Amino acid sequence: MKLATSKADLLAQLGTVSRVASTRSAVQALSGVQIIAREGAVELRATDMEVGLRVPLAAEVEREGTVVLPARLTLEVVRSLPGDRATLELRPGQGDVELVAGSATFHLRTLRAEDFPPFPEPGDGDASVTVPAAAFVETVGMVARSASRDETRPILTGVLVSASGTQLRMVATDSYRLSVKETRLETPLAGPLEANVPARALQELARIATATEADTLSVTVRDNQVVFAVDGIVLSSRLIDGQFPNYGQLLPDSYEHELRLAGGELTEVVRRMSLLALKNAPLRLRFAEGELTVSAQTPDVGEATESLPVPFTGEPFEIGFNPDFLRDGLETVESRDLVFKLISPIRPGLIEAADDSGFLYLIMPIRLNV
Amino acid sequence: MRLIVARCEVRYSGRLNAVLPEALRLLMLKADGSVMVHADTGGFKPQNWMTPPAVVEESPGRIVVRKLKDDDRLDIAITEVLSDVTHDMGEAAALEKDGVEADLQEQLAAAPGWCGEGLRLVRREWPTDIGPVDLMCRDPGDGWVAVEIKRVATIDAVEQLTRYLERIRLDPEKAGCAGVLAAERIKPQARVLAQARGLRCVEVDLAVLRGEREPDLTLFAA
Repeated sequence: MKLATSKADLLAQLGTVSRVASTRSAVQALSGVQIIAREGAVELRATDMEVGLRVPLAAEVEREGTVVLPARLTLEVVRSLPGDRATLELRPGQGDVELVAGSATFHLRTLRAEDFPPFPEPGDGDASVTVPAAAFVETVGMVARSASRDETRPILTGVLVSASGTQLRMVATDSYRLSVKETRLETPLAGPLEANVPARALQELARIATATEADTLSVTVRDNQVVFAVDGIVLSSRLIDGQFPNYGQLLPDSYEHELRLAGGELTEVVRRMSLLALKNAPLRLRFAEGELTVSAQTPDVGEATESLPVPFTGEPFEIGFNPDFLRDGLETVESRDLVFKLISPIRPGLIEAADDSGFLYLIMPIRLNV
Repeated sequence: MRLIVARCEVRYSGRLNAVLPEALRLLMLKADGSVMVHADTGGFKPQNWMTPPAVVEESPGRIVVRKLKDDDRLDIAITEVLSDVTHDMGEAAALEKDGVEADLQEQLAAAPGWCGEGLRLVRREWPTDIGPVDLMCRDPGDGWVAVEIKRVATIDAVEQLTRYLERIRLDPEKAGCAGVLAAERIKPQARVLAQARGLRCVEVDLAVLRGEREPDLTLFAA
């Protein structure tokens, strides 16, 4: 294999693909990036066996071939290269790749190419659905934070993606909060779609789609795999097995209090008060006639209190929330007005965008001992 | 318990020779015959010591501690005594440890549902020919489930449960026996290995099991 490319392109594409290379696999090749040079087309690939990424690289191929190089090291080397151009040449006798740029020469030992797994091809006879990239990325961004990071409950580490007609819906929950976003599409989709996709894969896809500024992305769902293609980049991910919680049942039928609030104002207060809700201390929200007092207290650190006017009527009550979870919900609504619906200090509260944008955030409170 | 704060030089002879030059030290002579020489630095460990059985011989300005059966000897030359007090310590109460595996086992045996939905206890300390597994349970479908309990589960705990399961599954009736590793904290490496071996990991909170603390509120039972 021998190819020549621009340093900037190589760095950009390596930076993208290296993000999914494994950092802790027993198979060394999975910590690598595979470079496939064919006549007129070069592709970089990386995978951690859950998510796989294929990225094209503009390059002149002098000799075809395939190599696997350590991803992180190669990225650091390319980042440091002088000049605008770089050539890579496999030296089979030495078991390395010679990387030359300007006056700098590197010899990087290759990893075992035989250990690098094959990648699924997009299409391959399966029906693909084309989705507007911006709508998809926005929807991912609004729900993915609610997915669990606890690998002992794999079903909750995914985002339930479903779409049909002109509606795209994503749902994520870690059992402490639930995010639902329904996005209306301008044109109907070619077919329905439903899959529990690892949140990490979707966040990676959103990052790529944002960077490429692509208009659309295609989604192909197979038995146990989903393949996304955006602007020549192909991201594949295993699907999560099992029954996703029936989130519709979790949404209470009615609420005791419904407060319309200026989202930005409450978010700012919660951000400030959260600074003193450390070491798992809850954020306390005390509702009284016309006023909400947000407070936090961490033993041996300090306490904070701030009040803001709210249209609350009725018996005062106090409810506690995980500060990070509450902030996540409020920040997702951004500066739009929101509706905060509450039942009691031990029943879930609902944050809803007041502009009918289809976002729901159900959050479970924390018990307050005092 | 006799506590002497004294300026002294301590010479040890026996398996090797060592000298602690003259300085202010605490000499601790316990009723069980052990003698320890402490400084105000160096952590909890004595600078020198003699374990029982030993003979303590005292003369003006000198304490000699000799092992009965060999040549080990502590020779303490005292130049100044700042304090010399003796306390009757009475009967020593045994150390009571809280939050040990036995507590967890007791609580989980009383409520095996924490280890898996619908589990019911068959027996604590279920014997195998290489040692007992902590809990043997049945799931709602009458399948066997072996539970190994640790305070902190490491890779060793996964290996231990794997070994137990190998023995248990030799019985054709229990060939499908599932394994659960239950602990207050499960190390990430142990979790990875357990999952690779098809073992379930469950983190439990002793305070919640004891009813001292309410479990976290969740939207649904995960």
